[in-house]
Amino acid sequence: MVDLLLAVRGLNKQFRSGTQSVSVLSDLSLQLGRGESLALTGRSGSGKSTLLNILCGLEKPDAGRIQVLEEVFDSRKPAGSRQAEARWAALRRRQIGVVFQEANLMPALSLLDNVRLRARLAGQADDKCEDWMERLGIGELADRYPDQVSGGQRQRAALAMVFAMKPALILADEPTGSLDRHTAEAVTRQLFDLQARHGCGLILATHDAELATRCNHHLDLGHQPET
Amino acid sequence: MKRLFWLVLLPVLAGCPEQQEPAGFAGLAGVADPEAEVPFLQPGPGDRLSFPADFGPHPQHRIEWWYLTANLETAEGDPLGLQWTQFRQAIKPRLADAVPPDSGGWPLEAAWMAHAAVSFNGQHYFAEKLARGDVGHAGANAEPPAVWLDDWQLSELSGNGTWRLQVSADNWSYDLSLQINGEPVAHGDQGFSAKSASGEGSMYFSLVDIQIEGTVTLGDRTLAVSGKGWFDREWSSQFLKTGQQGWDWFALHLESGDKLMAFQLREEGGAFRSGTWIPARGEPVALTPGQLRMTPISGPDSYPRQWQLEVPDYGVSLKVSAPAGDYRNTGLYPYWESPVAVSGSHSGVGYMELTGYGN
Amino acid sequence: MTLLAALFSHYRRHPLQLLALATMIVLATMLWTGVHHLTSQARASLDQSESAVAERQQVTRADGEPVSVRDFVALRRAGLCVMPWLEVASPGAGRIVGVDPLAAACFDRSAKDNEPWRGELDGAPFVDISEAAGLAIGQKGQKDSQGVLSLLLSGPDSGSALPSGYRIAPFTVGPDTGELGESFLLNLDALGMLVLLISALLLRSVYLLGLAQRRDSFALLHRFGVPGRQINRLLLLEIMVLALVCIVPGVWLGRWLATGLGSGFGRALEGLFDTPLYAGQDGGWLVPVATMLAVVLVACLADVLRPLARRLSVAGRGQSLLPALVLLAGIALSVWASALAWLFVAVAMVFVAAGILAPFLIARLADWRAGGEEDPLSRWRHRELSVLARRLALPLVALQFAMAMVLAVQALVTTFESTFDQWLVQRLEADYYIEVPEGADASLAVDWLSGQQELAAGLWHRVIRGQATLMNSVGESGPVVDVFALGPIGPLVTGWQLFESVGAPWQSLAEGQGLMVNEQLARRQGVTVGDTLSLKLGHKAIDFPVLAVYPDYGRPAGEILIPASALPTDFETGFQSLSISPGTLSMETVTSGLKQIWDVEQLTVRDNRAIESLASAIFDQTFLLTRAMTVLTLILAAIALLLMGWVFFSTRAWYFRLLVVWGLPRRQAATQLTRLSLSLTSAIALLALPLGVWLTWILVHRINPLAFGWSLPMAVYPRFWLELGVLSVLVGLSIAVLMRRQLNSPASAPESASALSGGER
Repeated sequence: MVDLLLAVRGLNKQFRSGTQSVSVLSDLSLQLGRGESLALTGRSGSGKSTLLNILCGLEKPDAGRIQVLEEVFDSRKPAGSRQAEARWAALRRRQIGVVFQEANLMPALSLLDNVRLRARLAGQADDKCEDWMERLGIGELADRYPDQVSGGQRQRAALAMVFAMKPALILADEPTGSLDRHTAEAVTRQLFDLQARHGCGLILATHDAELATRCNHHLDLGHQPET
Repeated sequence: MKRLFWLVLLPVLAGCPEQQEPAGFAGLAGVADPEAEVPFLQPGPGDRLSFPADFGPHPQHRIEWWYLTANLETAEGDPLGLQWTQFRQAIKPRLADAVPPDSGGWPLEAAWMAHAAVSFNGQHYFAEKLARGDVGHAGANAEPPAVWLDDWQLSELSGNGTWRLQVSADNWSYDLSLQINGEPVAHGDQGFSAKSASGEGSMYFSLVDIQIEGTVTLGDRTLAVSGKGWFDREWSSQFLKTGQQGWDWFALHLESGDKLMAFQLREEGGAFRSGTWIPARGEPVALTPGQLRMTPISGPDSYPRQWQLEVPDYGVSLKVSAPAGDYRNTGLYPYWESPVAVSGSHSGVGYMELTGYGN
Repeated sequence: MTLLAALFSHYRRHPLQLLALATMIVLATMLWTGVHHLTSQARASLDQSESAVAERQQVTRADGEPVSVRDFVALRRAGLCVMPWLEVASPGAGRIVGVDPLAAACFDRSAKDNEPWRGELDGAPFVDISEAAGLAIGQKGQKDSQGVLSLLLSGPDSGSALPSGYRIAPFTVGPDTGELGESFLLNLDALGMLVLLISALLLRSVYLLGLAQRRDSFALLHRFGVPGRQINRLLLLEIMVLALVCIVPGVWLGRWLATGLGSGFGRALEGLFDTPLYAGQDGGWLVPVATMLAVVLVACLADVLRPLARRLSVAGRGQSLLPALVLLAGIALSVWASALAWLFVAVAMVFVAAGILAPFLIARLADWRAGGEEDPLSRWRHRELSVLARRLALPLVALQFAMAMVLAVQALVTTFESTFDQWLVQRLEADYYIEVPEGADASLAVDWLSGQQELAAGLWHRVIRGQATLMNSVGESGPVVDVFALGPIGPLVTGWQLFESVGAPWQSLAEGQGLMVNEQLARRQGVTVGDTLSLKLGHKAIDFPVLAVYPDYGRPAGEILIPASALPTDFETGFQSLSISPGTLSMETVTSGLKQIWDVEQLTVRDNRAIESLASAIFDQTFLLTRAMTVLTLILAAIALLLMGWVFFSTRAWYFRLLVVWGLPRRQAATQLTRLSLSLTSAIALLALPLGVWLTWILVHRINPLAFGWSLPMAVYPRFWLELGVLSVLVGLSIAVLMRRQLNSPASAPESASALSGGER
C-alpha cells in the first residue's frame, strides 16, 4: 500500500466486569491507506466504539502498536503517557475527525459557530465554513442552534465540521444510526462523496450490512466478546 | 450517725484545697503553737463528752450536726413526722478557744447547712438553707444552747430546760416547744461511737426523752401537734471509710418505754453495725456488732422501706416500716428520712434514715 | 409495578439526584436550625447579661449609711433572702465582684441560668466574697479601692417583710444596653428570615432539576392513563416523606453545630457573664421541624406561584422589564417609606427583583460578549456561561443573597462595634464617676474641685440629671425629656461627635446661648439646629436655641444637654454625679476630700474603664454569634452551588468532552472550564456587592431609625468585599475541579439533544 494512513498491530483490549475480565479486542491488526474506507460491523458490545476510541486516542489499548500518519504509539514502549496524550490530541485536532451518532455539536453555539470552532481548532481558516454548510445543504440553517434543527440536519452539520477541518482520517460511529432511512441515505451519500473527493481515510462503525459493502474494506468484530 | 456526704460540698466553693487528715493519735497534735498549722482532730476511744460545752460547735472537727426527729400526732390523732437538722462543715480547722475571724472579711472557714422536713398524710415537705460560718447569720452556742441559720433557730426558753424550734419554709413552717427530760445518752464507749472495725468513729450523744408541743403550718392549714422527739449531737473529722457505701440509721421509741438506736455502715460484702439499747429503767447498753441484726425486707437497689431489726440478747425482734409515700430529702445531697411504725416483739414509732442508695 | 414504585424508579436510576435533594434538605435544615438556635442564644445571652447588670433590687439602710455585714446578718435573721455583692476595683484585675454562693442558695432556683454567681466561681469578675474582701483589705492604704458592699434582694415580693430601718432601691452595675441590643435582635430576626428564604431557594433548585429530569416519565405515566392530579398527590407524598426523613437529622446536626460553635465562643469569653450561655438551652423540636417542613413543601410545591417561579428558574429573554420596574420601585420605597412594614416590603421587592434579574443579567452580558467575540472558543465560553447562569439561576441567586447578607452583616456588626465603642469612649471619657450621695451638696464639691490646683481645669464636671417638659408653640405641655446638665463644659465633652451644629457649639453652650438635643429628640420632634425649644425646667418655661444634635445610642427617650448654670433654682434634681479624670492628683485625695466636705463615710466610685470593657464584652458575644450565623449561610450557599454545578455538569459532561475529542489538550479544556466557572462565581459576587451595600444601608440607615429613633453611621468595608471575592474564586475553582473530573471519566452520549439531557442552549 503506497500511502499508508493507519496501521494497527496486535491490538488487545479487555474490560473488567466485576471479577471477570472481558476481552473486547484480541490481537487485532488492520491497515488503511489514504482514500480508503473500512466498515466495522458487529453486534452491540462487540467493540466497535472501543476500537474507534482507541484509534483516536480517547481510550488506551492494553497492548498493541498503532501508527497514524507518522505518529507511532506502541504499548511496549511506554513513553510518557502525557506526551502520548499530547500527540493524540494534536492528531485529533488536525488530522482525525470524529462523528458520533448524536450530539456532535455544542448546544450553546449556532451551527455555523460550531463549524467555525472546529475549523479554527484544526488551524483552518473559517471563511470556508459557510461553503461547507452550503455543500451539505444546510447553508440557510447557519444561524440556527442545534435544538432548532432536525437530527439529519445536525448530522450534516457534524459532517460539515469534520470536513471543514480537512482531516486525514474520519472516524464515524453509527453517524446515521438515529436517522430515518431516507435521511440516513442522503447523509451517507454525502459522507462517501466527500471522503472520496478529499481522499481522506474513513472508518465507519455500523450495523447496516448494506452500508458496509460500500466500503473498500470490511472488518466484522464478531458477535460476542470473549470471556 | 448522719450526713457524711457533706464532705464533698465545700470544695465547690472558692477552690479551697482539701485539708489533709491529721496524722497521729487524736488530740495530741497541734495544740502548743498557735502559729502552727492547726490540724483537724479525729475522735478516738478514750475521748470523753463534756457538758454543756459539747452542745456548742467544735471548730477543730471537720463535721458535726444538731439533729432532731419527732414522731408527733395532730389533735385528730393523725401521725406527723418532723425533722430539723443543722450541719456544720469546717473548711479550715480552728482551735476551740481561738478568736473567730472578723466577719467583715466574709471568712470561709466553715459552712452551714440546715434541713427541715415535715411528713404528713403521705406528703413530704422539705427545705434546705445554706450559709457561711463566722459571719453571724448561722451558728451555734453551748450556753445557753442555741443553733440558728437565718430565721430558722433552736433556742432555749428562759433557762428552764425548754427549747423552742422555729422553722419557716416557702409554704410551710413549724414552731415547737421541746421539754427536755433525762440526761444525755452517750453512745458507744462513753460517747465515742466507732464507725468501722478499724476504729474510726465520732463523738455521739442523744437526748431521747423530749416532750414536744406546738404548731405545724402546711399551706393555709395550721395543725396543733404533740409527741416525742429524739435529739442527736455528733461530730467527727471523718466518717465514711473508702469502701463504705452508705448507712442505715434507726431511732425507735418503743411503747414499753425502752428505746433503741441502731445503725449500720454498708460496705462491700457486709456491714459495720452498732447501736444502743436504752431500757426504760437502768443504764443504756452499747450494742456490739454481733448483738445486732438488721435486714432490709425489700431489695437493695432502692431505699428499703421495711426492715427487720433484731437484738436477741434483749428479746427484741422488730418489723420497722415507713408509711406510704416518698420521703427523700431532695436537697444538694438526697437521702431518705422518714418516720416509721414498729411492730413485732414491741410496738412503737421512730425515725429511719437511709443513704447511699443512688436516687 | 405500582404507581409509587414507578415514580420512585427515577431515583433508583439516579440515586445521586435523590442524594442531592436529601443533602440539600438536611443542610438547609441544619443551617436554619443552627441559625435559629444561635439567634435564640444571642437573645438569651443578651437578656441574661442585661438581667445580670440591671433590673435587680437591693436593700439599703434608710439612714443612708452604707450597708455592712451586720445589716446582712440582721436581714437574713429576719428571714429576708439577700445576697452580699462586694465590688472591688482592683488595680491589677480591674473590677472584681465578690458574692457568696451559699447566701445565693435562697435565690429563686428556677432563675438559676440568670445568676452567674451560682455554681463555680472560677474567675473575674465573680469570685468568692472572702477573696474580694481580702483584696479590699489588702488595699487599705488606698481607701477608695475598698469594696462597695451591696445587698441584693432575691425577688420583688421579698420586700414585704422588710425590717424597719431599711428600704429597697434599684441595683445596677452597668450601662443600660437594652435598646441597642433590641435593635440588634431585630436585625438578627430579619437575617433569620433571609436565611430561610435562601434555604427555600436552594431546595427549590434541586427539586426543579429532579422534576425536569422526570418529565418524561410523568408524560409516560400520563399516557398510561394516570391522572395528573394523582401524580401530583404522589409527588406531594414523596416530598413529605423525604422531608421528614431528612429534617430530623438536619435539626439534630444544626443544634450540634450551634452548640459546638456556641461553646467555643463561650470559652472565648469566659469570665464575663457567659458561664451558663450554652447550658440548658435545648430548645424544642417542634419549631424547627414544622418550619422546615413548611419551607420544603413551599419550596418544592410552589407551583401555585408558577409565574414567579418560572421567572426565577429561567429568566426569559425580554421579561426583564417587570423585575427592573419592581427593583426601581423597591429602591424608591426603601428611600421614601415611613413605616417599618413598608421597609420590609421594599426589602422583599428588591430581593425578588434582584433574584430574577441577576442570572438574567449575567446571561445577557455573556450573550452580548459572545456576539462580539471573534474567537469561536471564547464565544463558546461566553455562550456556555449564559447557559450556566440561566440553568443555575436558583443556587446562584441563593449564593448572591448569602453574599449580600454576609456583606451587610459584617458591615452592620463592624459598624455597631465601632460606633458603640466610640460612643462608650465618649460617654466614659472621664476615668472615674462619683455619685453625689443623697442630701449632699454638690456645689460644695464643685467649689472644692475648683480649688484644687493640681486638678487641671476642665478634667472634671458635675452632672445633674432630671426631667423637663417640652412646651409646644401655644404653650401646652408636650412630652417629657431627660435633662443632662453639665458644668463646667470642658474637654470631657467637647470631643463628642455631633451630627450637626452651629459654629463653635461647645463655646456657645458654655456661654449659655442654648442647648443641644440628642438624635432621638431631634428625629421625634423634627428639631434641627437653629430651632428654638421651649422647655419647662422648673415652674417656668424657657426658650433655648438648639445648638447641636448629638448621637445617643440606646437611649429610648429624648434628651437635652444644657450647661448646669442654665438650670433654674427650682429645678428638681433627680440625680447628681461627678465625672473626674484626676490626672496627677490621686483619686484618694479626691475622694477623701469629697468625703470630708460631704461628711460621709463611703462614696460610690465607679471605674469607667471597667464599665467600658464590661459593656464591650457583652456585645462582642452577640456579634460573634451573628457572624457565625452568616458565615454558615454562606457556606451552605456555596455548597449548594457546588452540588448543583456538579449535577448540572454531569448532564453536560458529554459536551465538555467534545472539546477533548476535538483535540484540545485536557489541560487546556480544563482551563476553559475553570475560566467558565470563575466567570460565573465572580459575576455573582460582583452582583452581590451592590445588593449587600444596599442591605447594609437599609439596616443601618432606615430600619434602625424607624424602629428606634436613632441611626448608625454607615460605613463600607472593602476588606469584606475582598474576602467575598476570594470566596467566590474558591467556589469557582472547586466547581472547576469537579468539572475536570467529569472530563476525565468517559461520559455516555446523550440520547437526544433535548434540554433534559444537558443539551440546552
